[in-house]
Amino acid sequence: LCRLDMGTEREQSFHPSDEEIQRWMASAFDMAKDALENGEVPVGCLLVYNNQVVGKGRNDVNETKNATRHAEMLALDQLLDWCRHSNVDAGSVCERTVLYVTVEPCIMCAAALRLLHIPLVVFGCRNERFGGCGSVMDVTSAQLPHTGTAFQCVAGYRAEEAVEMLKTFYKQENPNAPKPRTRKD
Amino acid sequence: MSLHNVKKEAAEDMEPQSKRRRSSECDSDSWAAYPVLSDEQSQEAELIEAIAVPITNKKETSRLVRELSSLYPLPGLQHIKRVRACKPDSPHPLEAVVCLVSDAPHIDSEEAISVDSLLPSDRVRHDGLGEPFVVKVPACPPLTRPQFELASKHWPTSFHEDKQVTFALRGELFSPPQKARMQEYMLSAVAAARAGKESGMEAIGAVVVDPKLEKVIAVAHDCRGDHPLYHAVMVSIDLVAKGQGGGAYSFDKYPACQFALPTSNSTTETSQNEAVQPYICTGYDLYVTREPCVMCAMALVHSRIGRVFYGTSSADGALGTKYKIHTQKDLNHRFEVFRGVLSKQCEHLNGLEYIRKLK
Repeated sequence: LCRLDMGTEREQSFHPSDEEIQRWMASAFDMAKDALENGEVPVGCLLVYNNQVVGKGRNDVNETKNATRHAEMLALDQLLDWCRHSNVDAGSVCERTVLYVTVEPCIMCAAALRLLHIPLVVFGCRNERFGGCGSVMDVTSAQLPHTGTAFQCVAGYRAEEAVEMLKTFYKQENPNAPKPRTRKD
Repeated sequence: MSLHNVKKEAAEDMEPQSKRRRSSECDSDSWAAYPVLSDEQSQEAELIEAIAVPITNKKETSRLVRELSSLYPLPGLQHIKRVRACKPDSPHPLEAVVCLVSDAPHIDSEEAISVDSLLPSDRVRHDGLGEPFVVKVPACPPLTRPQFELASKHWPTSFHEDKQVTFALRGELFSPPQKARMQEYMLSAVAAARAGKESGMEAIGAVVVDPKLEKVIAVAHDCRGDHPLYHAVMVSIDLVAKGQGGGAYSFDKYPACQFALPTSNSTTETSQNEAVQPYICTGYDLYVTREPCVMCAMALVHSRIGRVFYGTSSADGALGTKYKIHTQKDLNHRFEVFRGVLSKQCEHLNGLEYIRKLK
């Protein structure tokens, strides 16, 4: 149904404009803010294909009791559903889809993005605990010929704002936790 | 749930136990589980150059050791012995480490190292000393017996042995009854892999077990033919979630993917209340026919898996081949990994997969 066996070559010209990045990241930040106001992990994430949101997600670990249900994984599921319903080939959609996310994807999500051949990820702040795009490990460009396609990252977009939201969330979640040490990237 | 138990058929046989086991295709003597250790544990012991000096008069030894230790205390090299005995045919009875080459003072590359340049005579009396020479010593304390044995070839080294690791490296950590159980679990993973292959998936199976209750929690096969991220491990994690009242995937199409509802164990529930409630994969073992990829390995970290056993390595594997995510220091959860469980049968599945791709 969604076979993604395709070459690793890609059109070099595929890259969103600064204006597009700004617009979609603003949207991702709105999602994160909304999550924060509802007491959920403030991560906003959307997959954009051809100027259209084909997947978005928020963390769903608690509800599903499945620790792999990160926002990116939900968004990728939506993308695949969208392809199925629109009757288009997932491979050709994925290779022209950008992920906009307020926090660096974790190692698992980064590998999933490779497996689906997503070419570009734009993210806000680094994920020091689990980051798979350089912070803990770098699976974006690693030599993994059987794990999809390497992808590019645009890092640090409104990073401080993203960090602040995370800090606020973790403070409210556990009032007894020691104050997180401030770290400037 | 019903579990595939290949041994059941054999049990109806009238042959004596020993003969039956020998004739079985899946003899648990035919494989061994080896630990996948961190790089620090599995790499060869690193060696560094040190300067040693012969002790020509044995009676001076204790004074020399005292004076050498005060002049060169060798911080960070507590694992090496200061003095070693020489072979009977040696012209001197003992040799002592003076210092690391990198710590030695005033050594011109032109000049040979000498007792005078190394040991000021007001600190170390030269009686009973021969001409210094360079030796290799282990840079770090050995963590495993193989590292210890290699290190000891160069210089006597002390070793705080972890017997579990030593047994594990020999493939002898698990007793025959334990191996029989492990084999049974992996056999159901193999059976699930075959069932998955029947419905057009890759031939990979995974089984999650609660080792305390010796109970199978989930049996899964790869479903990536329908969803590119539904690798067997991801499927098994979601099946565990389903058993705990959660879950996100739909399994209607996959009758071979099964999960167990938590058994209400009245004794533990009343005596220990909420503390025994299962939490994701905490304390569980995973048996998977093939080494997990990066996505699946990290999913296991997030799910707090207890231990992972796999049959064969895979080219991009993240629990030993390309990465050792289970030993990654920066991550908040680490776990033990063993490879080689029922390796031949798991290898055979890979062969099936290869043939499928050729077609």
